[in-house]
Amino acid sequence: MTTLVPVTYKGGVYRHDEIMDLIDDLGGYIVQKHVMAQDVVLQSFVPRDDIEMIRRIAKPLAGEVIEAPLVGTEIAVVSPSLEIHHLPHTACDIAEYLRRAGAKTNMVGLARGFGKRIANLNDEERDVINEHDLAVYMLGSFEECIQQKFPALRQGIHVPIVVTGAPDRETLMRIIDPPVEGYVGGVGRIMHRFKRPEELAKLDELVDEVSRTLDARRDALAKDPLSVFPPRLMAIIEERIHEVTMLTHPTPVTAQMEGLRVKLPYDLYADDVRSLEVADGVTVGDIADVTPSRMRNYILIRIKPFSETRILV
Amino acid sequence: MPPLNYFVVESPDEVGKEAYERIAADVLQDLDLIKVVDRLHVYVDPKVPIFVAAGLLRHMPRAIRVADFANVNRGEHEIVLDIGDETYLAPLLQKLWVLFGKENVEQPDRFTVVLPAGVVGEEDLEQIVVADPSETLYKDVIYALQYIAPEGFKVRRQYIREGKFYYVASEDTLPGDIVETLVAPIFAKMGVTL
Repeated sequence: MTTLVPVTYKGGVYRHDEIMDLIDDLGGYIVQKHVMAQDVVLQSFVPRDDIEMIRRIAKPLAGEVIEAPLVGTEIAVVSPSLEIHHLPHTACDIAEYLRRAGAKTNMVGLARGFGKRIANLNDEERDVINEHDLAVYMLGSFEECIQQKFPALRQGIHVPIVVTGAPDRETLMRIIDPPVEGYVGGVGRIMHRFKRPEELAKLDELVDEVSRTLDARRDALAKDPLSVFPPRLMAIIEERIHEVTMLTHPTPVTAQMEGLRVKLPYDLYADDVRSLEVADGVTVGDIADVTPSRMRNYILIRIKPFSETRILV
Repeated sequence: MPPLNYFVVESPDEVGKEAYERIAADVLQDLDLIKVVDRLHVYVDPKVPIFVAAGLLRHMPRAIRVADFANVNRGEHEIVLDIGDETYLAPLLQKLWVLFGKENVEQPDRFTVVLPAGVVGEEDLEQIVVADPSETLYKDVIYALQYIAPEGFKVRRQYIREGKFYYVASEDTLPGDIVETLVAPIFAKMGVTL
């Protein structure tokens, strides 16, 4: 079985369709395509053995292929509020940096996430965060505050969490109990753009921490694989439900590690999605839970593991 | 670091202290208040919890007059204003419209305003006050302090008068004598009495 690895292709618009066809022909999947003026960025999964070939073919087109550990993941960047204290720096800079590593990030600004005593998380915020593959919590400058408020902010969250804050990594590890999956110290509330080398190093550290956490999850998934690879289901949905192509969202279908978010109204399209045939006689409803998302009126598809369905598409 | 004459951040939390030094410097720089604030002392203790910022303002910025950003060239038939800096162009036009009527104020291009010589009397065009930045300065200083303070500290007391200002904030109710017990000693450290 070929192993698909997440990569980012960066190149010009000129003849980029050839690269898209190539990835398709090799059995890879394009999860996200961005066209920015003259440039094209493709977030994709390609067979490991064929990366060199893509590099070779892309060379005359001045395209480059970079390993992007976070392709195919959807990450929540949780900020205590959407006030000027946390935006645009820290929140946007972190979200943007994770995007460069291939992730699809959503910013979650809590309604009452500030203050050490008054911080809390409402049910909608909890459910929205739980729909992601991982949550990055951006906390502030004081050890005391993080220690007091974090238990309230993590209540009911069952996805892996990576915490950032001004205290160093060891302090964060000491004050957060029970432990979370990742820690990045020395970030905190920063009121200017991340541009100094040590600040950028922190962002790299965050990407490493996030990809390490997700790799652990991928390893666990490899032991009991999903009934269908999410990007594959994504390709099928994009091909068969033509309304998807008419959506103006940057990612009309968002790939996650264990499912998909389809940005169509649940009430109107859930049955179409459920009855969609993935392979001979196997429908989406057989291998996945199609549920309403807490994010607007979207559809959330959770793919069931092989051990549950005994089907592998 | 901003070129303030006195800039101290105090906190029992060493990491927090460093973070707030950077935050305060960034905010003052972003809001262009470095030239305005002369001294600033910040005290923040998350355990209490309390945030105090106290300081002095430098001179108040003076009123902006036409001569500050435009050349007035008086001709025989018309007066040509040659605009050097567009920042105050909009309030200038508003002023001129009120004084001389919209039909008499012509603007052939971005940097030129032409008035017929007849409508402008003997008054000194150069000395017309176009804008007064000090009107909004108080608001800007308080906004900056609100911006520097931790977001959860919503209960606050603020004061700005005669070049002195303070801003006290907490998550809990502020004690009635907080100004005497906490703010006055901070002013004393700066060598000033409130």
